[in-house]
Amino acid sequence: MKNFASLFHDLDGMTKTNDRLDRLVSYFKEADPNDSIWVSWFLSGNRIKGAIKTGELRSFLSERVNLPLWLIEECHDRVGDLAETLSLLAGSSVTGQSIGLDQTIRKFLLPLRGMDTDERKKLLYKVWDILSTEEMLPFHKLLTGGFRMGVSKGNLCKALARVGGVEPAVIAQRIAGSWTCDDLSMEDILNPTNEGIDDMNRPFPFCLASPLQEATDGLGKLEDWQVEWKWDGIRSQLLTTGGGSGMLWSRGEESIEESFPEILECIPYLPSDLCMDGEILAWGREGLRSFSRLQKRLGRKNPSPAIQRKEPVRFQAYDLLRINGEDLRSQPMEQRREKLESLLAGIPDHLPLGLSSLVQEKTWDDLKARREESRERGVEGFMLKRKDSKYETGRVKGSWYKWKIDPYMADMVVVSAQLGHGKRANLYSDYTLAVWSESGELVTVAKAYSGLSNEEIEEVDRFVRKNITGKFGPVRGVRPELVLEIAFEGVRASGRHKSGVALRFPRIHRLRKDKKIVDADSLETIRGYAGLNQIEDSTDGIKTDSDGNLLLL
Amino acid sequence: MKNEVLELRPEGLFCPAGDFYIDPRGKVKKAIITHAHADHARLGHKSYLCSKNCESLLKIRIGEGAFIESLPFGGKIRIGEATVSFHPAGHILGSAQIRVEVGGQVWVVSGDYKPQADQTCEAFELVKCHGFISECTFGLPVYRWLPEEEIHKQINQWWNENAEAGQTSLLFGYSLGKAQRILAGLDESVGKIFVHGAVFPFLEHYRKAGVHIPKVQKIEKNKEHDFNQAMVIAPPAVEDSSWIRKFRNVKKGFASGWMLIRGARRRRNLDRGFVLSDHADWNGLIDVIRGTEAEQIKVTHGNGDALTRFLCEKGVSCSVLAGAGMRGEEEE
Repeated sequence: MKNFASLFHDLDGMTKTNDRLDRLVSYFKEADPNDSIWVSWFLSGNRIKGAIKTGELRSFLSERVNLPLWLIEECHDRVGDLAETLSLLAGSSVTGQSIGLDQTIRKFLLPLRGMDTDERKKLLYKVWDILSTEEMLPFHKLLTGGFRMGVSKGNLCKALARVGGVEPAVIAQRIAGSWTCDDLSMEDILNPTNEGIDDMNRPFPFCLASPLQEATDGLGKLEDWQVEWKWDGIRSQLLTTGGGSGMLWSRGEESIEESFPEILECIPYLPSDLCMDGEILAWGREGLRSFSRLQKRLGRKNPSPAIQRKEPVRFQAYDLLRINGEDLRSQPMEQRREKLESLLAGIPDHLPLGLSSLVQEKTWDDLKARREESRERGVEGFMLKRKDSKYETGRVKGSWYKWKIDPYMADMVVVSAQLGHGKRANLYSDYTLAVWSESGELVTVAKAYSGLSNEEIEEVDRFVRKNITGKFGPVRGVRPELVLEIAFEGVRASGRHKSGVALRFPRIHRLRKDKKIVDADSLETIRGYAGLNQIEDSTDGIKTDSDGNLLLL
Repeated sequence: MKNEVLELRPEGLFCPAGDFYIDPRGKVKKAIITHAHADHARLGHKSYLCSKNCESLLKIRIGEGAFIESLPFGGKIRIGEATVSFHPAGHILGSAQIRVEVGGQVWVVSGDYKPQADQTCEAFELVKCHGFISECTFGLPVYRWLPEEEIHKQINQWWNENAEAGQTSLLFGYSLGKAQRILAGLDESVGKIFVHGAVFPFLEHYRKAGVHIPKVQKIEKNKEHDFNQAMVIAPPAVEDSSWIRKFRNVKKGFASGWMLIRGARRRRNLDRGFVLSDHADWNGLIDVIRGTEAEQIKVTHGNGDALTRFLCEKGVSCSVLAGAGMRGEEEE
């Protein structure tokens, strides 16, 4: 655990990506492979789930350090991170025990899952006895699940590639998808040859587009670009693995075929050892449906035939990455597209498998005009891919762009705030926002926490601290005075907020110090964006008292 | 708050029996000052009374022209119907708790204090009293300090590592108190030590008071200094100024109790935070408050709610002294 703890603290103290990369390489070179594989697993975005409920953890600690539970909550509020709070409170008098990371996880972490409360308490007390100060935080991070070290998966791949002398793309593929430390070893990951791994079961790392920020002038001739609509669904890869079976992987690299069995019905019609990139969309007889319809299928495993009929989906294919085991990623987009088209031409129409059509225009101006159709079509704008581009790993610049339509904007009032986490612990940086209802009340519609500069966050933080009207757990009611301009991508009916609507991707566009709260937008305007005004009004809006203070439930 | 010894007025804490204020915010006739930090020792009072070791530091802060009297620690003075004495608070050089006795009732105003050892100032003295006004800057149990030797070791190790990598170490700490405390613990064999102009004037007074301060160079405008492998001590306010551009290959650190929390360090984009505080930690607050055997406790500075509730649950009569001068994070 000592090596791992020092890796953790070093990475935590570093502000430059390259420093982190170097540190990670030196760790992998020295560490026990049994420990390294865990680090690779965690940095791939995995976490140990369900080891302990945080409430139980808090009460164990409260008992152990003889402090009331409310005081532990107060500390959590200040620190902004549960693992860190626990570590600071648990303290340590030990200066260095040494069992490795792998042993710590297997002896003290994984067994917690099967234990009853008393056993769990005993085990945790024991851990708190043997961990040194430095080991406390990394351990609690593993325990509470949220574990990040400022290292992206891409950088993990780069580090492993440097250690093993293997291409980062090969590493990326080996650690893609779901795996455990029991079925993959460091040797497998760093293996200079390819034997022993069935690559056909794994998705390729997704190639991601950059947002197009500048004008299209810099992109050269339009005829060098393949233009598609930017569909709004779940980006995924569809694989055939031979023997009539297949897999569906999301961009988060979760296997999701159990949620979409109808898409797997396409497998028998496709060649073996194939990998297609595309998007799962809500798609009825009339064509594309909204993302909120798709959400009814999310997280639902083995959906009933009834729901499959009611909320149908389809796989909209973008790209062909592998066919009959041959990796096509370094071929130009144009050629991959041709192969994709001829492949899909032979697929029967009744199957939920479509091709993302091309948008053909002569000039950039014409294309720009077509972009105006996006909202009506229910898409987010255009995808621009250079016809000679490879399918690369991660986010690329220069060859793939998303050219999104401008977001919706509305002025909203900050009605409550919460302390942020991590870098923003101690700052009120998460805001609940409200607009005016028809009856002249402020009703909440969204939460937003990104978009302001550090200076602005500190400014708003000062405002919040001076204007707190009430305390509701970690939430502070704030005197409604501050107006923020919020950008968002869409509106849908939802019970999450009292207004009866929820926004998609709300983020702060700017501080509107020039505006008074009476200038904030109305719920009617926002509902209008989604065509929701026909829907029956909800009557139980959020209430304010005679001073205009928000009354939270 | 209002009792026979002290009451809270808009200008600050007032003693009617002696017609004086303690660390007042507004301009007053007679101000008794706990220590020379700007949020306690303000400009513009007609007369000042402070501890002997505080006097020369106070002069630097408010100017030679002010009318300042001082009193050695422990010595008593009668002001009107009140008896006043100064007792070391262990916060910075010359920092005092002020004991005020009126008609047999004793109140102690702590100013800022810390019971932990600090080689750059007088050791904290526990004063028994009926009422105690305590600071509460770090009033949560997560705040627990390591002994200062431990922190000095960390700082020297950091400096050494940076020097070996050919880098300058720029360490932020408040110009009065923290800077001298850092300096007193530096290992001079590692390299040259520089200080920002705001830190420099206080040094000779610390040396006069018998505190070991290593040889330093003051950073002068328009003068070329060789900062290679050096340690530079500067107040945190310069962090975002153009002053900082002199340093090319530099690692930045900050010494403050706030550095205990990772978020606070990361938000400032620092390479390193050192948990070195001039205030009492949680256990320090509890020990001192109990040690005074005071029947009434008032807490001020920082978020006193948690400490107050905790003490009340333990049967100690404690409340937050509202409006007695809230302050933010910046001043540690």
